[in-house]
Amino acid sequence: MKLYVYLIRRLLLLIPVIIGVTLITFYLSHVNIGMLIAGYEGRIRNAQTIAIVKRELHLNGPIWDQYLYYLFSLFTGNWGYLSPNEPMDALTPVFVEFQRRFPPTAELSIIATILVLIMGIPLGVLSAVKKDRLLDQITRLIAMAAVSIPVFWLGLIILMALGPTSPIPSYLKLIGGGQINFLNYAYTSKGTLEPWASPTSGISKPTGFLLIDTLYYGDYKAFLAALYTVFWPALVVAVTSFGVIIRFLRSSMLEVLGQDYIRTARSKGVPESFVIKKHARRNALGTTTTIMGLFFASLLSGVVVTEYVFNWPGMGEWLFNAAANADMVSVMATTFVFTIVIVVANLIVDILYSILDPRVRLD
Amino acid sequence: MSQSDFIKEFHSKLEAFKKNFYFLTRSPLATIGLGIVLFYILIAIVGPIIVGGNPLIMTQNLKYYFNPQPPSMQYPFGTTYRGYDIFNGVIKGARTDIGVAAIIVLSGAFIGTILGSIAGYKGGIIGETIMRITDIFLSIPFIVLAVAFLLIFGRNLITMVEALVIIWWPTYTRIVRGQVLIVRELKYVEASVAAGSSSLRTVIKHIIPNSIYPIFVQISLDFGNVILTIASLFYLGFGFAGYSLAEWGNIIGIAASQGSGIQTLELYPWTIEIPGLVILIFVLSLNLLGDGLRDITDPRLRR
Repeated sequence: MKLYVYLIRRLLLLIPVIIGVTLITFYLSHVNIGMLIAGYEGRIRNAQTIAIVKRELHLNGPIWDQYLYYLFSLFTGNWGYLSPNEPMDALTPVFVEFQRRFPPTAELSIIATILVLIMGIPLGVLSAVKKDRLLDQITRLIAMAAVSIPVFWLGLIILMALGPTSPIPSYLKLIGGGQINFLNYAYTSKGTLEPWASPTSGISKPTGFLLIDTLYYGDYKAFLAALYTVFWPALVVAVTSFGVIIRFLRSSMLEVLGQDYIRTARSKGVPESFVIKKHARRNALGTTTTIMGLFFASLLSGVVVTEYVFNWPGMGEWLFNAAANADMVSVMATTFVFTIVIVVANLIVDILYSILDPRVRLD
Repeated sequence: MSQSDFIKEFHSKLEAFKKNFYFLTRSPLATIGLGIVLFYILIAIVGPIIVGGNPLIMTQNLKYYFNPQPPSMQYPFGTTYRGYDIFNGVIKGARTDIGVAAIIVLSGAFIGTILGSIAGYKGGIIGETIMRITDIFLSIPFIVLAVAFLLIFGRNLITMVEALVIIWWPTYTRIVRGQVLIVRELKYVEASVAAGSSSLRTVIKHIIPNSIYPIFVQISLDFGNVILTIASLFYLGFGFAGYSLAEWGNIIGIAASQGSGIQTLELYPWTIEIPGLVILIFVLSLNLLGDGLRDITDPRLRR
């Protein structure tokens, strides 16, 4: 089968999964109709607005009609409104908030994945090469301990170790500046936190990624500060999720090292480091790609909690704050977005695997 | 089955168990893990009786409401905000955490085994549908789904258990299905079908008993994950019964939310460190035990 045929087939297979996911979010959001209506009403809440929302979402119609209009509003970006904290706050649509919240989460996840690969691959290979020696036992214990640490606890310990003078936004929350909206704040070249992208000031965030934006403005000091800020939460996520990769890489390396072609390579005099790097590691990494989809799902769970601990202005922090305020439309939006991200990540991993390993039959 | 047959079978099972136990004790890490897990379970059973009081509520000393006390003779692990005794909370929390996690993992494994064996044995449209539903549930981050559930169905222990059971069955379905697909093709299953056994009987008598071993390994590995998830949910403020519930994550949550910032956390580090270490040691031992069990069941890894 050609690659593009496979691609189209996989994309078609996505449709039932997405329908299933929307059925779950539909069910959850229609259990408590009052909460749903409140999420779509906006600021003024009276019998008239309730009637308008009911008409828009066809809440008086049969259940399939409600589902169709739910799908329609989902795909046209009509996700409801955030419940305003102050009576005079501007009313924010959930879809706009999602666009603001998504880049920080993506940034944190990407940096965490990079850290996982940097730390996990050498440890996994080392563990397999030095099988049953002391180094292997230590690595296995590290991998085991890493999956056993509570994410939020590691975050708190790291915050405590860094100390109160460290310029990490969560301190402002912990010190008592809980009202500051960090979406509108960022680092300046002076190393301080200032209203850098507030809606009233002229500066905007071109991409929303802290690292890319600081580079875009050519502010390398702010870039370094941003790197420092993103490093610690990313480290927490990486440490609590790289154990899986080490364990899987170790077992697939052991499997590859027992193959005939490794023996052939050794017997014809290929240097050991070359055998490990070119013959064994490459094949072991191919099989490790298959678990990356599930790994990514667990990584995102860690990201969500870490964001809350570090007050990182992403989807996870939004989710928990929304849940604390009984803001159901936001919780449903985050659930939907996270699921779509994981489904798409799985798709990318499968395609990547078929490209990396030509032996895989595309069917 | 006559009585002598039963005794013979029991003896052969005992022999197999002794052999597996011998392999387990040959790995020092797995032995340590087993020992610590048994110790925690003992604490969970007898601990709340020894320390006394309501087994779900931490004891409180209002004298230390705003000023946590460091570890001392009276309070071996110190006290946290609102005057809660950490030692008392950790002991009582063992029962809460292990009990809730056991309910969740065992129900998840039960549902997963049933659905997985149906999907594996029957196959066809029913099997495909079950596996697609499994895929959908596996692609939602579990903590997000749990939060959505707790928000909509109300925050109480029953909802939390229900939500986590719904999250935890798909892994087992996948494992059991894979196992059943292998066992289904074996000769003794064919023989039982040829002898006129109904498919329900075949599944219950022959297929499930022979494909259940990986489930035990997965349970021991999952138990730690469930404990971490429960602790995270409580830490994130999805607790109930105020702050007084004796639960490991809740004890950390009290310190993190009641203190007025990182500076006070640095003044009272034991309020965070001790409950966290209690969780870490238990989950680590569970994982060591699970790893040892997996090495026994998978002889290829014993190389």
